[in-house]
Amino acid sequence: MVFTFLVGGKAGEGVKKAGSVAASLFVSMGRHAFEMDDYQSLIRGGHNFSVVTTATRKVTSHYLQSDVVVCLDERSYSLHKAHVAPKGILVYNSDTTKGEGIGIPFTSEANPYPDPRLILGVGTVAVLSAVVGQTKEELKTLVENEYPRGVEHNTAYAAKIYDTARPLVGRTYLLERGDKKRGFLSGNQAIALGACAGGLDMYVAYPMTPSSSILHYLAAHREELGITVIHPENEIAVINMAIGAAFAGAVSMVGTSGGGFALMQEAFSLAGMTETPLLCVLSSRPGPSTGVPTYTEQGDLRFALNQGHGEFPRIVASPGSVEEAFYLTAELLHIVWKFQTPGILLTEKHLSESSMTVDIDCEEAQWVKPVFHTNGEYNRYSDTPDGISPLLFVPSKELINWNSYEHDEKGITTENPDLIVKMHEKRKRKGETLVEYLKGMKTVNVYGEGNPVIFTYGSTLMSVLEALHAGNIKATVVQPIYLEPFPVWEVTQYKNTLGIVIEMSSTGLFASLLKEKTGINPEVVIKKYDGRPFDPQDLADIIKEVL
Amino acid sequence: MDDLTTYAENTWCPGCGNFGIFNAFKKAVRTLESKNISRSYIAISAGIGCHAKIFDYLKLSGLYSIHGRSMATIQGMKVANPDLKVVAFAGDGDAFGEGIAHMIFAAKRNADITVIVHDNGVYGLTTGQYTPTSKKGYKGPSTPQGSVEEPLNPLALMLEAGATFVARGYPAKLDHLADIMVKAVEHEGFSFVDVLQPCVTFNNTYKLYNELVEILTSTPDSYEEAVTCAKRKDRLPIGVMYQVKKPAFHRELYGDWNPVAQKMSQKERRESVNKLVNP
Repeated sequence: MVFTFLVGGKAGEGVKKAGSVAASLFVSMGRHAFEMDDYQSLIRGGHNFSVVTTATRKVTSHYLQSDVVVCLDERSYSLHKAHVAPKGILVYNSDTTKGEGIGIPFTSEANPYPDPRLILGVGTVAVLSAVVGQTKEELKTLVENEYPRGVEHNTAYAAKIYDTARPLVGRTYLLERGDKKRGFLSGNQAIALGACAGGLDMYVAYPMTPSSSILHYLAAHREELGITVIHPENEIAVINMAIGAAFAGAVSMVGTSGGGFALMQEAFSLAGMTETPLLCVLSSRPGPSTGVPTYTEQGDLRFALNQGHGEFPRIVASPGSVEEAFYLTAELLHIVWKFQTPGILLTEKHLSESSMTVDIDCEEAQWVKPVFHTNGEYNRYSDTPDGISPLLFVPSKELINWNSYEHDEKGITTENPDLIVKMHEKRKRKGETLVEYLKGMKTVNVYGEGNPVIFTYGSTLMSVLEALHAGNIKATVVQPIYLEPFPVWEVTQYKNTLGIVIEMSSTGLFASLLKEKTGINPEVVIKKYDGRPFDPQDLADIIKEVL
Repeated sequence: MDDLTTYAENTWCPGCGNFGIFNAFKKAVRTLESKNISRSYIAISAGIGCHAKIFDYLKLSGLYSIHGRSMATIQGMKVANPDLKVVAFAGDGDAFGEGIAHMIFAAKRNADITVIVHDNGVYGLTTGQYTPTSKKGYKGPSTPQGSVEEPLNPLALMLEAGATFVARGYPAKLDHLADIMVKAVEHEGFSFVDVLQPCVTFNNTYKLYNELVEILTSTPDSYEEAVTCAKRKDRLPIGVMYQVKKPAFHRELYGDWNPVAQKMSQKERRESVNKLVNP
């Protein structure tokens, strides 16, 4: 049974935390879960909601239609009463709202406590606890684990709300236990941990939503992971420091969103010329410019593909799930070090900041293993047959020159036409070696079989797979993981099929890329660009309409 | 050709102040070697401009960076491998135009780096435009009527930003400049050396500097005196104006740890990742 819990309220009422506690309750039952947080770019007030969907099978999206909706304020009530499933429960805050459903005095019960606003979220957890048939003792343990600050107040408040809710909604949804307890990670946590599993030494970033939680997570766990984390003055310093660190042999990664990445363009090109291994995480939000900071969109696809001036091999890949984000980050670190060129992990808010249950085996992640210079005189840019020049790091008796100017094999600046051609061709050959290497790897995920063939990528894959479940739709889903170099060798076979593209962009960027690279001209392009991810049920209805 | 000079063809104008900086730095490297700082542990960087050609000429490892970013580049090197001595060469346009934020923040965080600014008050390589340190009224191709802006005082700015070593040198006083460079590299923390560099083609200041430059007999006693010294206009004092001991950025971050030399093993790392993935 798929079960969904939605909690809504103002920022500062612990709504997001309540969502994550709900998820951890489901995870502790051995179930799968998917949590999506919808929040605004503000500290207090406004409207936030968190929605958690759980099942005993894998779920790759939240559903908006919810079995239990808890609304802490009037605005949440008016927005989310429409999301209550036919036999679902609508709980509202009787202190703030006159409504239909189950009224619970969350606010007046919270008033005796030192922080009556922040504690409200604990009350919503207590309602859920009663609904799914937890005992009061189980709820107490949950609250003690999840809300350790001011724990006595939290447990007392939770118990009070539980007692009120139990006779009204108690044991309405008795969820069966799942097969095993899994890890539960956000996309950004998976990116951070995948990078560490892959051999990361240094993460450098300037805060920008929705990438910031990579910085926060790695800074919080810096010591146990044995890495360095720096937050310097701006994104330009970020990427140039990371390049300097790579020169000294550190496996470096940077992370940002569109605006910050625009500032990094100049140094991205520097990495191309100096042949610096560098991984950049680009987590998109709706643009252009400041756009809509805390929402999701895939409008940066062409921007990512064309990052940096000049010609050099670029790598762009985008994960289609939290699990894939973990492995792909490690794989991209490995690849940028193998090919000594900058790469981009392109993702979106919907993956970065949504969380889901994962089955991850760290041993399956790649570990950075570059080609090292072994003996003899060292030439940083030795003109090898595969275009890859072995690495050597300071301190060394050899001269190690990385150069932003066009250079000779030693790394000394040149304007000689023959050397310009030679170095262009070396970098180009490296790009060709990269393509050959990728041909031996999994560059495209394919799900299902038969017509229609749905082409999608990145976080939209999660919505698509869940939509097929929701609508009981049979289809083939083709998800290129790599977008540059584009895996034409895999995708072209789907040329003569009934094609549908699904993406989060207003102009159909992915559809145009697909056409440009493979000649595939899909019959239909389903686009969404209101900042909100697809709801699987809505998407299923749209797919059925176009079939 | 000596063992600190590459085969690159030197294209500085005859008489350029950069020659003095180049020779002084080579002398400084030899002195540092006599003090057991091996050249293989020195990593350099440079911005873009006439000054930056020093990167090609010096036979020292490093990364030839882009305009205004060499200070950020070497901060990355230093944090990755704190055993290195890192030196950035920058022009006045690099350091106080394009890259001024990096200068201020490197000083603020006391990054253990040395920045040597070839301060000639002109963009030479792009044919003589005014820079952040050009005097008001300077006429160049972008300011044919004369610059309307007051110049920055790099020394006072760096003192205010928190630099723990601030000095000024003059290439015509080569041994004195080399001595400053040695002290700057030895200093643990942010060391800034502003070099009064005449540009013989666009801004020939030899005569002026020869009249105004005055070797400091001792380092001023306090921060306030250092600021006063840095702001003097009647004379141009050269030498170390300020030096103070403060913990360097990388030590504040992680003590004596070396991220690349003491990298966690793959096994250990995976164990700690696994604890966070599957708690």
